[in-house]
Amino acid sequence: MSGILNLVIGLAMGLNLIALGSSRLPTLIRAVSVQGVLLGVMPVLMESERLDWRVLLVALATIAGKGLLIPSLLRRAMRAANIEREVEPFIGFVPSLLLGAVGTIAAVALARALPLLPEHVGMLLVPGSLASLLTGFILLIGRVKAISQVCGYLILENGIFLFGLLLIHSTPLLVESGILLDVTVGVFIIGIIVDRIQRAFDSLDTRKLTALHE
Amino acid sequence: MSLLSALPLLVAAVAMSTSLLLGRTAPRGWLVATLVGVAAALLAAAIVLMGGADWEWRSSFLLGGEPLHLRLDSLSAFFLVLLGVVGGAGSVYAREYWSDTAHPRSARTGRFWWSLMLFSLGFVLLASNGLHFLIAWELFTLSAYFLITLNRQCSAVQAAGWLYIGASHAATLALFAFFTLLAVHVGSWDLGPMQEHTELAPLFWLGLFGFGLKAGLFPLHIWLPSAHANAPSHVSAMLSGVTLKLGIYGLMRFSGWLPLPDGAGWVVAVLGVTSAVLGVAFALGQHDLKRLLAYHSVENIGIILIGLGFALVAVQQGNPVWGRLALAGALLHVWNHGLFKALLFFGAGSVLHATGTRMMSQLGGLWRAMPWTAGLFALGAVAISGLPPLNGFVSEWLVYLGLFDATLAHGPAAWLAISSAIFLGITGALALACFAKVCGVVFLGAPRSPAAAHAHESGPQMRSAMLVLGVACVAIGLAPVIFWPAVVRAMDVWNPVWVGAETPVALSALGLFHVALALVALTLAGWLWRRVQRSGLIRAVTWDCAYALPTARMQYTAGSFAGIITEWFAWILRPERYQQLPETCFPATAHHAEHTPETVLEKIVKPAAALVMRVSAWARSLQHGRLQAYLLYLLIGVAALALFVLLGGSP
Repeated sequence: MSGILNLVIGLAMGLNLIALGSSRLPTLIRAVSVQGVLLGVMPVLMESERLDWRVLLVALATIAGKGLLIPSLLRRAMRAANIEREVEPFIGFVPSLLLGAVGTIAAVALARALPLLPEHVGMLLVPGSLASLLTGFILLIGRVKAISQVCGYLILENGIFLFGLLLIHSTPLLVESGILLDVTVGVFIIGIIVDRIQRAFDSLDTRKLTALHE
Repeated sequence: MSLLSALPLLVAAVAMSTSLLLGRTAPRGWLVATLVGVAAALLAAAIVLMGGADWEWRSSFLLGGEPLHLRLDSLSAFFLVLLGVVGGAGSVYAREYWSDTAHPRSARTGRFWWSLMLFSLGFVLLASNGLHFLIAWELFTLSAYFLITLNRQCSAVQAAGWLYIGASHAATLALFAFFTLLAVHVGSWDLGPMQEHTELAPLFWLGLFGFGLKAGLFPLHIWLPSAHANAPSHVSAMLSGVTLKLGIYGLMRFSGWLPLPDGAGWVVAVLGVTSAVLGVAFALGQHDLKRLLAYHSVENIGIILIGLGFALVAVQQGNPVWGRLALAGALLHVWNHGLFKALLFFGAGSVLHATGTRMMSQLGGLWRAMPWTAGLFALGAVAISGLPPLNGFVSEWLVYLGLFDATLAHGPAAWLAISSAIFLGITGALALACFAKVCGVVFLGAPRSPAAAHAHESGPQMRSAMLVLGVACVAIGLAPVIFWPAVVRAMDVWNPVWVGAETPVALSALGLFHVALALVALTLAGWLWRRVQRSGLIRAVTWDCAYALPTARMQYTAGSFAGIITEWFAWILRPERYQQLPETCFPATAHHAEHTPETVLEKIVKPAAALVMRVSAWARSLQHGRLQAYLLYLLIGVAALALFVLLGGSP
């Protein structure tokens, strides 16, 4: 079972690199949405022996939320704000990819150093989660447009979700769903803000927001 | 608790509160209320100083969470007398000097802040709770700031105000630490003798910084010259005459109440000597009348600190008698400097009022137009130079006696005492030179500018304020014995071991000598005047020695008069000279200008501040509003923490 799980996590890590390397917003959003679907599948894979209706509910909600709802909100914001589909990097694509690769290797190394439960040692959960966190950060730091930053934030959140899966036996699923709801509302609000920024500044370049500081 | 002094204090509090309310609307009522308050405070202080019981009042009324605790003992009464006399004279002086007609807007606010300052100064003296002391201290600092910047359209005034408030807050910060640590160790904010807490001794250094900055001792005096020069003259008089003494009050109060660290007296005495000599050296280099007077405050604070320092040395060496003499000199000099410095600032204010300038190079020959001001200024100049028969000599003489006795006692302090005495002598001589320069350049000779030529005497209110202070200077000079008991009672509070110091025989002899000297001087002056009247007075141009066309520019200037002496001190004064020497046989142009900057401020504090600003500006560029960079800081922070944990730091 852990073989399939590791494969899925490996796919998610690959999607991280695609997100870092993509130069167009739709690609970026699609990478995030596919990653969301993969994440939604994971609880089912982990709990395949004793499937619970709650686990199924979380899986469905995650797939619907991360995989469908949030990406569609982002696409709508992108259309409504009528922005260019270029990503506009702060850190170039190749350096981002390199950073992501180094981050992934570092995540694997770091996961070895961490004291883990024996049943988690063979799994890619911890490296995957750390790699996603780093990828999210690189996107947040290295991209200019607000929408790409939202994608970075989502990937970061996916990393947290992955880490949370370690505790799936003990974490009440209600908390998981709470996080999911928060993220959805957050994206919803950001979608509105993006629209406002576009109207106020005629651009989504967050660098221009520095005019508001102090 | 004695009712006798409670009643005047209550009257004083009510009258000062009334004057606070009346300041904006009713100037006459304000003056009356202020004078009543001042008189009542003086009465209360006099009762305590003339042998009445100390007044102490513990109320259940909470101020800032602490019960109100007031105490008027003879040490605070001693300073309250100075506050009353200078404050009262200043109020009368201010009515004319900063009148509503000349300053329609700032006169009203000036009266308000003036009343608030008097009130809070009195409260500092009475407060017997650390928290209330700090509140009153801050209140008087702030009201003094608003008084200094009354004329705030002028950029020099703004700069002086900023420097003052910045320096004052550095002092207040030290005092915050001082009182908080005190309260933590003792377990209560209540103040009082606490000699038994020997662990509190290091707090003396914090107090020395905080109170010393306020008193203006030498390296910490940076705020003083510009603030005193740019404030309105009645405020300068108050700042120099009273608020500097509050720093001295703090030092005396807490050096008496708290245990002393080793070497405290030595440090204070050495700082005193430094302030005295360098204060007068800087004064000699000044061309601005009020700035010059401000540096003389540094000098006189130095003299007071020499006395206090030797008293502290004496306490640490088993209380020999010379310590008492030095402290008596210091205490009496507190009064004396307050009186004659306020008189001098009032005089300088009259000159400024009449001519509109403080620059001595624009003045000259004012003696004819302003005989009262000139005469009273000269009186103050004689007093501050420490010449008999006036009060300055009495207190400096007491300090000298203490120093000589300390030398003769061959104790460990003998070497310090003899060198201090020598430096005190140098200080006196330089002060005399400096005031010869001031009186000569400002009041004698020919007017150097049209403004000086058209000067007029100040009005009755300004004159009467100066007269009161002048009379007080003469009174202490001629009859020091009358004021001795007050000094002794203040000393008793400072160090109860010294109870019952008898009047030094020499003091009454000095008083008699002064009376005789004054009589001889008056007789001589009368005789000269009669001779002049009888033989007919011929007025001629000053410096009329064979010059075809003498002009006022041929006179000695302030700079040329002091040139030789400022040259001796050039190593610390660092005068800036701009000159073009005459070169050919018939030189067309030549000029020479000299300016003595505030060296400590310009050469030490400003470069240090510039460095701090550069570092801060660099640190500020981290704060630029770019979200991406903030996230990067966050990531770096988290990574650093993770690294710290991984590399074996405790999680």
